[in-house]
Amino acid sequence: MREGKTSGAAVSRANLVSLPHADPPHGQDHLTWAYQTHVTAIYQYIYSRVGNRPDAEDLTAQVFMKAISGMRNDVSVPELRSWLYRVAQTTLADHWREYYAEGAGELDEDVTRPPAPRENPEAVHRVDALLATLPESYRRVLELRFLRGYSVRETAQELSLSEANVKVLQFRALNRAGRERGRMS
Amino acid sequence: MNDDPEQLDRHVDDLLHDRKPERTPLSDEDALRARQTAAMLRAAKPGAGLPSKEFLERMQGSIGGWVGEQSARPQPAARPSRRSLLLTGAAGIAAGVAAAVGVERLVPKPVEPGPTQALVEKGAWKPVKALADLPQGTPVAFRSGAIEGFLIRQGDEVKGLSAVCTHMGCILNFSKFRNQFECPCHGATFEITGRPTDQYDTPLPRLPLLQVRIERGQVEVYSV
Repeated sequence: MREGKTSGAAVSRANLVSLPHADPPHGQDHLTWAYQTHVTAIYQYIYSRVGNRPDAEDLTAQVFMKAISGMRNDVSVPELRSWLYRVAQTTLADHWREYYAEGAGELDEDVTRPPAPRENPEAVHRVDALLATLPESYRRVLELRFLRGYSVRETAQELSLSEANVKVLQFRALNRAGRERGRMS
Repeated sequence: MNDDPEQLDRHVDDLLHDRKPERTPLSDEDALRARQTAAMLRAAKPGAGLPSKEFLERMQGSIGGWVGEQSARPQPAARPSRRSLLLTGAAGIAAGVAAAVGVERLVPKPVEPGPTQALVEKGAWKPVKALADLPQGTPVAFRSGAIEGFLIRQGDEVKGLSAVCTHMGCILNFSKFRNQFECPCHGATFEITGRPTDQYDTPLPRLPLLQVRIERGQVEVYSV
């Protein structure tokens, strides 16, 4: 079931980004190259926390700007990677705090340990596990809205509910899932 | 202000259309968690969450500039932080893997990893799956310590392949339909043997083989 979701078919040849260099360059260029290879992973990591492109792009750029200005130039790659994730985590915490003014303080992960560079497939696993904890009607509404991208109207037709009821069901489902997520982490 | 279904749906709708959501003061922790959960669900949609080509190109330029500015400044003395000390174990193996697959190494040395090259030097055998649970011929993903890979059973033998794309280090998926490994980041593909399929002007290295053995019905991988 899962392979359809991230199939290569969705990524056309036009989207292929050329390799910066087949052989990594030396010195400063090499440091640049080492940071560049992490952009996609950090972007995916952030996207799975904010869920939209404009915020993910802004925050990714912020992370690299802060990370580069705060790091020595003789950093090793594993140090660089864990440093980037650490900066990403604090940047996200600041984002939620600023965005919603209050209550967003805590970091939901152990910042001393960098996550694996496998954010997207991992996100799919976590979502499957989370959905499995929900009652059927909650799971259905979230699957239709988020995983299939149905509009409220389409979801209402599919579930034989009014649009207002879909919004209420979605509200309860997200709140319940949010609490379950708190328990799981 | 109390959260309500209409307000939450506007937020969801923004995410589903990849718009920046409106900044709304939230009433409580539940309201915040609901939105963070919405973001997580949004990212799980097929095709969501990949950076655009334009953004990647812009970032490549910006990073070059920022590194240049930083290099012009005096450098703080190198010292081992608590974090780097804590990470030494995992860092060592990560560096080993990165060097062997030809990505992310800071000391450039061209490596063409042969299929028998060992990724792990000071590890241990770790059980990852029961042989009986592996289907014939279809790769099964696993993760053990710092190693992510695929196990491919052929008869009563099992082969292990690294799941790290040799382009830029993303983790590969296996497509049963196309019978190949596919990179979610930039679309690189590899045959089931680990051999890269065309795409790039400079051919990618093949996927390294992992050290795998079978002990009392358990498939074990040499890992850290």
